Amino acid sequence: MSIRRSSLLAAFAVASLLLAVACGDDGGDASGGGAEGADDQRTVVLLTYDSFALPEEAAERFEELTGARIEVRATGDAGSMLTGALLAAGAPEGDVIFGIDNTLATRVLQEDLLEPFTPDGIDAIPQRYHLEGELGRLLTPVDAGDVCVNVDEAWFEDEGIEPPSTMEDLASEPYRDLLVVESPVTSSPGLAFLLTTIDRYGEDGWQDYWKRLTDNGVRVRPSWDDAYYNDYTVSGGDRPLVLSYASSPPAEVVFGDLDEPRSSVMTDSCGAQVEYAGVLRGAEEPELARELVEFMVSETWQEALPLANFVFPVREDVRLPEEFERWAERADDPAGLPPELVEERRDTWIEQWRELME
Amino acid sequence: MTVAATAAEVGPNPPAAARAGRRARLRAGIGSVAVAVVLLLVAVPVAAVVLRTVRPHGEWDPEAFGRVLSSARTWRLVAVTVGQALGSSVLTVAVGVPVAWVLSRFRFRGRDALASAAVVPFVLPSVVVGSAFATLLGPRGLVDLRGTWWPILAAHACFNLAVVVRTVGAALDGLPPDMEAAGRLLGAGPVGVARRLLLPAVAPAIAAAATITFLFCLTSFGVIVILGGGRVSTVEVEIWTRATRQFDLPGAGVLAMLQLAAVVATLTVHARISRHAARATAGSPGTRRQRPRAWRDRSAVAGAVLVVAAVSVAPLLALVERSLRVGDRLGLDHWTGLGSAAAGTGLAVSPLTAVATSLGAAFVATAASVLLALPATRAVARRPGGLGDRLLLLPLGVSATTIGLGLLLAVGRPPIDLRRSVWIVPVAQALVAIPLVVRTVLPSLRALPGTMLDAAATLGATPRARWWRVELPLLRRPVVAGAGLALVACLGEFGATVFVARQDRPTVPVAIERLMSRPGGAGFGQAMALSCVLAAVCAVVVVALDRWVGGETGPTF
Repeated sequence: MSIRRSSLLAAFAVASLLLAVACGDDGGDASGGGAEGADDQRTVVLLTYDSFALPEEAAERFEELTGARIEVRATGDAGSMLTGALLAAGAPEGDVIFGIDNTLATRVLQEDLLEPFTPDGIDAIPQRYHLEGELGRLLTPVDAGDVCVNVDEAWFEDEGIEPPSTMEDLASEPYRDLLVVESPVTSSPGLAFLLTTIDRYGEDGWQDYWKRLTDNGVRVRPSWDDAYYNDYTVSGGDRPLVLSYASSPPAEVVFGDLDEPRSSVMTDSCGAQVEYAGVLRGAEEPELARELVEFMVSETWQEALPLANFVFPVREDVRLPEEFERWAERADDPAGLPPELVEERRDTWIEQWRELME
Repeated sequence: MTVAATAAEVGPNPPAAARAGRRARLRAGIGSVAVAVVLLLVAVPVAAVVLRTVRPHGEWDPEAFGRVLSSARTWRLVAVTVGQALGSSVLTVAVGVPVAWVLSRFRFRGRDALASAAVVPFVLPSVVVGSAFATLLGPRGLVDLRGTWWPILAAHACFNLAVVVRTVGAALDGLPPDMEAAGRLLGAGPVGVARRLLLPAVAPAIAAAATITFLFCLTSFGVIVILGGGRVSTVEVEIWTRATRQFDLPGAGVLAMLQLAAVVATLTVHARISRHAARATAGSPGTRRQRPRAWRDRSAVAGAVLVVAAVSVAPLLALVERSLRVGDRLGLDHWTGLGSAAAGTGLAVSPLTAVATSLGAAFVATAASVLLALPATRAVARRPGGLGDRLLLLPLGVSATTIGLGLLLAVGRPPIDLRRSVWIVPVAQALVAIPLVVRTVLPSLRALPGTMLDAAATLGATPRARWWRVELPLLRRPVVAGAGLALVACLGEFGATVFVARQDRPTVPVAIERLMSRPGGAGFGQAMALSCVLAAVCAVVVVALDRWVGGETGPTF
């Protein structure tokens, strides 16, 4: 081989190294500054789940107050979001985490995920939403809603079938192949529903209930988005029963520009859900993070929440939008297990559910 | 060792000989250090996984073993994993062997194109092959087979066709040219010739190819994540699900160990089989390839063309077509949108930023893996079957998700916290690429004629001159081929990267998975366009490689 060949090889090696270094820097810079890192404006990164919608006007108000922009970083459904955050604990991918719910709350204790913070506005929130002890110092309640099976009334009317009204109905013949729910492994409404079934049927009976649901053709999807937007008949899917929220019907009115919603809520299936926010330990903007959590319990944010995310604000002194007053239902007695029991048994139940269903 | 000794003996004068001896020792030292570094790089993540499994909360508590191993679901998962890998191997062999036979037997117009088409998917990233089959066998494709194993088996066949075609093709080419003719002359029909002569002759090669395919399917990740849609799972996918969805790190660790055992067992079986398969004699294949004249021959060629078109060309065409479909019309929207981070797609950055990130990381990882693998390979090449040689095989046995999870656990918390560093992705990718480079370079290094080096030494060439003027030029092809393969592997790396890539710095495969997993189809078109970009980048690398070093170099397992 000639010298020319070998120097060519050396040149290639040097060139590829240079290119590598150049590209490596490039990649770092482009992402380091965030999506719009051109100007000097500060950003506070809000880590949340996929279906979260930022209340735009409230976010603008936050910007006026603090000069900082809110950047939403959505990472899957609530369960996946929280696990991702736990794996990144201490070097978080955002400043504030929002969407941890009562079923998963105790997991934040595991990796020292959050910085203790209690907003000044906490007193405006009814006591029943507050968490006890250490958890209460880490997590701030922001919204509440019941997780319930939604029923596409119009579909049942067209088919001439009486809509289901009890949990037993869901597992019975007339409603075969009609229900879609979310997986409790990845999705927080999915986990809430699993807990509802455990509350209803007890530790001894819930597995049998799920067996009957399976025999009756229940479909399980990894996330709420999946189930609601792909499978629910109202969104063009093939299942007229979907596990969603008690506040989903008003969403149909707002988004679908309808006079009244197509769906109703099957209150027998409801389980209570409260969503919390917290400041991530190791946040790049800890000061802004605290300001954002404070802002989330302010009147501005609380009032904007219902129409952006179709949940109930935790503050009861804010005005509800008209669509909510009319169409959103709240179960009188939603299912809810004691938090200590959930903490102790949750992972076992999830494991048992997977054993049964997957 | 022998080289160093020779250098010392024939050195023109004592001081120079001493210098040369020092250099040789230094070089041997560098080699051992490189082997040690490679092993350490693999051992650290594995150790981190094991440690987290037996000491989940800082104290000894191996509860995860009992929990996971006593679960019936775990063993169902193992059965399904092995079952799909077996099914995929059988399917790949059934498709690949006839194609290999046609390619080895006939010459016809388009033969080279057919050969390329059959092997190209092998270098494509798994998520690209996955999304291609998601299109072809998805809601708006040929048939909707979502949620079944068929798209996964088909994708595995597409992916591994190259393994069978290459390995069995080489064995067929190595058969005595007159064997088939002799068989015919003695009265055997074409079926008899195939069954009683050809198949027994190439059976070891088929078995070797099937085992490698089995291994790849056993550890298949990207394809199953994309096509399984959360509904079908394997051990490899379950490691990921448990770690990143359930936050059950000890449980994931137990499964990773299970996977490690399965892979090591497969590699052992393969080592036995390939010892037999390696004894193919070198023939002169080009001269005995005939034009297909009889209708039977013509239909065999046509069949091979059809099969390859269906298995490896159609999915890629479907990918391109789907990237151009916007609602009910055709358009470039998904392509023009690649430059910006669209809301509602689940990506924090624009897809093009992901391309830049991927290229940067892949180049760094490739450079690092070549720089590490070369001295390490040189060190072990001298003693085939030695301890170093065996140790260097170990990284092959560690699956990508195990590396990713282990890396996250090892350097993902104080005192060493690299989670925010841009280097963690290249490190993960280098770990996956190093075995590829080793396997590509090692055979050539072994085949290097020692006499040539000795001759150079006798003629007074210093060790450095021998390395630079003799060894390196002879190794140019395998080294460049190894680097190219490493680059392609890094660009497509998913199983390890997905654990360590940050939200704001996704690589292309991570971005594709993110786009695909977003329901509602908002990101689907963009995922397809991005898959096309990634496929094109890999194709450019491979074509350049092919031009420069010829197509016949590749990793040997």
